[in-house]
Formats: sequence, structure tokens, C-alpha cells
Amino acid sequence: MAYYVDRTVKMTWWERSYLPEILRGMYITSRHFFVNLFGFIPFFLGQKKKRPIFTVYYPEEMAPIPIAYRGRPVLAINENNLPNCVACGLCEAACPAYCIDIVPGENTGKQNQVERWPKEFTIDYAVCIFCGNCEEACPEEAIFMSDDYEIPMMNRKDMLYNLEQLSVPIEKLKDRVEFTRKMYGKWNY
Amino acid sequence: MLLELTITLAKVLFIVGITVGFFAPVLTWVERKQSAIMQDRVGANRADILGFTALGLFHAIADAIKMFAKEDFIPQGANRFLHTLAPIIAVIPAILTFAVVPFGGQYELWGTTVNLVISDLDVGLLFVFAIASIATYGYVIAGWASNSNWSLLGSMRTASQMISYEVTMGLTIVGVLMVFGTMKLTEIGAAQEDFLNWGFFLQPVGFFMFLAASIAENKRIPFDAPEAESELVAGYFTEYSGLKFGMFFMAEFIEMVTIGAIVTILFFGAWHIPFLPSATLLSWLDFLGTNWANLILMFIHIGVFFAKVIFFIWFQMIIRWTLPRFRYDQIMKLGWKILLPLSLANILITGLVILAVN
Repeated sequence: MAYYVDRTVKMTWWERSYLPEILRGMYITSRHFFVNLFGFIPFFLGQKKKRPIFTVYYPEEMAPIPIAYRGRPVLAINENNLPNCVACGLCEAACPAYCIDIVPGENTGKQNQVERWPKEFTIDYAVCIFCGNCEEACPEEAIFMSDDYEIPMMNRKDMLYNLEQLSVPIEKLKDRVEFTRKMYGKWNY
Repeated sequence: MLLELTITLAKVLFIVGITVGFFAPVLTWVERKQSAIMQDRVGANRADILGFTALGLFHAIADAIKMFAKEDFIPQGANRFLHTLAPIIAVIPAILTFAVVPFGGQYELWGTTVNLVISDLDVGLLFVFAIASIATYGYVIAGWASNSNWSLLGSMRTASQMISYEVTMGLTIVGVLMVFGTMKLTEIGAAQEDFLNWGFFLQPVGFFMFLAASIAENKRIPFDAPEAESELVAGYFTEYSGLKFGMFFMAEFIEMVTIGAIVTILFFGAWHIPFLPSATLLSWLDFLGTNWANLILMFIHIGVFFAKVIFFIWFQMIIRWTLPRFRYDQIMKLGWKILLPLSLANILITGLVILAVN
């Protein structure tokens, strides 16, 4: 619906005489100026977080990221220092951008060996669209979207992460694991 | 003779140093930082020397280096001579007005009378406005010589706005002249030693009109129709780059200082401290001996004067970052239909009051 500005509005004499309204506006801006100016004083004394200006000095500080944020997908490493992944290929199939590549390894009958594991697991972040479908498809709680968004590289080849680079201990992803359980647990496929 | 020459040279160096060397670069930083703080942002703080940012003060240096390093571009079909000449015409009058601006009173130092003004002209006030309007030629020539429609429109707007507001400004000053009875800026300053004698109390309406007209003269928001980023790209300096653009920029900032200084002298008691006449201060400092007391008084007065100037620069910036731009016809309407009759009425009432008092 088109929105029309009502230009026939009748201003009072007070408003039409410019000056008081201008002074009112200047009162507001200078109030902000002084409040912020004196708000800088505790900032210089070392209190970094308690300042009235909420601008984040990005490379030095990071903004707090909500748990639902989808950063780069990572592989969870369990307590035995092995990936949770069983190389089922569901994430590979779910990936709309085809950026995941898995080479599975299988148990050949040895003792104390996991049934199935990824020999190679690569994600090309230059291709990844951060949709989170891999996380949703994973039945083993092995792949998660982390809160890391700092993945620009000077070279596209560097953006192809292998298994070692992708691995993140599961303790670091606790909140996200909770979140995914809550989020995807109530959907009944 | 040699002593006089030295004193004059020192005064010239002080004024040029403080306007071109201090105010012009620092105000670019102040403008950014103040606007940022007013808008709940942080503002410039990235330029650093060895990791030391000094609140972003080094951005002024970075700006200067950038302007020196940029290509000096002259568009095709432009008048090369006038295109180069225009920024010079714009910036020189801005600095030149300070020749008659007193930044302190008269002091007896070791047998010499030091008058803190470079040239104490009898027509100082007229000189300021005569010189200030020469800068308009710079802007008009800049627009004409650029061979660009934006520039030409901008310079035409400059010319018309200057003419409109110069009238108001001139008539406003008439009120001040009637009150103080002199055109010497030093005498106007000296006459305001008493707090209730300040021009602001004698000419309150004149003060507001003068401030509005002088901001319009400086082409800053809310009167920035000649520049009008959203309409005319950048107005008369659209086709300028590098140091020539920097000169227009510098002219604007120096004019801000000039406006602050003139307003301080005409309306805000020049170098005087309210309720504290120089004689009282001198008697307090008497234990130092007359010469030293005078010297310290001189520095106090210079400090007070520039503190007031800085306040008015701050005030202009608050105005600039508070108000939106007037439409072009609104500027003309305000100039001719409101400010001009008001200034005429101001003269009439001032005259009647003076007649009644005498």
C-alpha cells in the first residue's frame, strides 16, 4: 500500500516559528553528545564493556553470537579423540552446494576398531552456503555449525579444509549440540 | 622598529599557525568524532602510528597524505587556469580575515605596548566582510571553470545564497555598530569588559540572525544547498580532487573558526571573563611584578578567547549534525522574508532604544 505524507498538516504557531523546535532538536543531540562523552571516561579507565556506545571494535573484540547462528560447519571429535562421524554420506547427499566430500574407511575385522569412519572428510568453504542441512541430516551428532565466521582466505585452495582442520572437540560445541537436539528433536520425520 | 616587526611577525605566525596548522586539521577530526559521539557511534579510531591511535587524531595526517598523493584531475573542456585559481581564491580570504581579528587586548610588557591584533584597522569589521565576500568569487569561478553542470548549479546557488545572506549579515552588524559606536574590532572587544555589556545582551535578536546568516555564508548544513550531496553530487567542487579539494575543505573549516572568532568578538565579550575585569585579575597577579602579571594576563585572555571560539565551533557542529538541509526555496524564503525584515526591525528598535536612553 502506498504511503502518502500528509502535507496539509497544520503546524502550531510554536512549531512554525522554527527556533524553539530547532533548540529542542539541538538539546537532544547535545544530550547524546555529553552522555556519550562522559561515558567514554570509564572506558579509558579500563572498563571495556560498560560504555554507552555499543559499537564493537571488531578485530579486537567479537560481538556475542547467538547459539542459532550458522558459522562454518565443523566435525565433532568425541572423548576417544575420534570423530563421531560414521561416513554414512547423508550430509554429502543433503548438501545443496556439493561442498562435502567423504572417503569412508571400514572395519576389516580388527579388534577395538570402530565400525566405520571417514578416512577423508573435506568441506570446501568456498562453495559452502552455510545452510545447515548437513547438521540437520546427520544422525550421529557429528557435524555442527560453529560460531566461527572468520574464514576468508587469500587463496581459494586454502578454503578446502581436510579432516584434521575440521575437527573440533565436542566440549566446545556443547551449546550447539543442546540446541540441535531441541531444534530437530521435535520434528518427526 | 625591529621590535615592532618581530612582534608583528610573531602575531602573524601565531594566527597562521593556529588556524592553518592547528584548527584546520584538528577540526576534520573533531567533525568526525563529534558527529560519531552524537550519533552513538565511535568514530575515526583506526589510523595508528606503531599501534598508538591517539583517539584517531592521526586521521588528519592520513587525510593530508591522501590528498597529496591523489591525482590532480582537471576535467576535459575545463578552463585550466581558472580551475586552478579558484581554490586559491577561496582559501586565501578565509585566512586573510584573521588579519584584523583581535585575540586579546592591549598589554604593557617591558615598556612596549603589545596589541594582540595583526592590523588594527579603523574599519576592521567592514574589512572582514569585504574579504569574506571575495571568497565567493572562488566558489563561483570553481563552478564555472569545471565544465560540469553540477558544479555550475552549485556555484549559482552559492552566488544567490551569498547575496541573500550578506544583506542580513550586513544589516545585523549595523545594530552592533549602533550599540558600540565603532567599527574597530579591538574597541568593540574592549567595550565588552562588563558582563552586561556583552553584545549578546544588547543585541539578542541580532546574535541569532548573525549566527544563522554566517552559517549560511559558510555553506554548512542546514544551508548547504550549494554543496547538496544528494542533489548536486558535491556542488561547486564536484570536479576537484587532491589538494585543490583539500583547499576548499580547509577554507570551510577556517571560515568556521572565523565565524567563531567574529561572533565571540561581537556578541560574547571577546577575551573577557564574565564578572572578572582585567583590573581584578591584574591585582591578583600583582605579586609577580607588573610585567609578568601582564604577560600572564595576556595568555589568560588568549586562552579565554580561543575557548569561546572553540565553543562556537562546537555549536556550529552541533547545528550541522542536528538539522536537515533546507530546500532551496526555503533558504531564499528564510533569507529574504524572515531574516531581512527582522534585521531591519532590529535596527529600528535598537535606534529607538538608544534614542530613549540618551
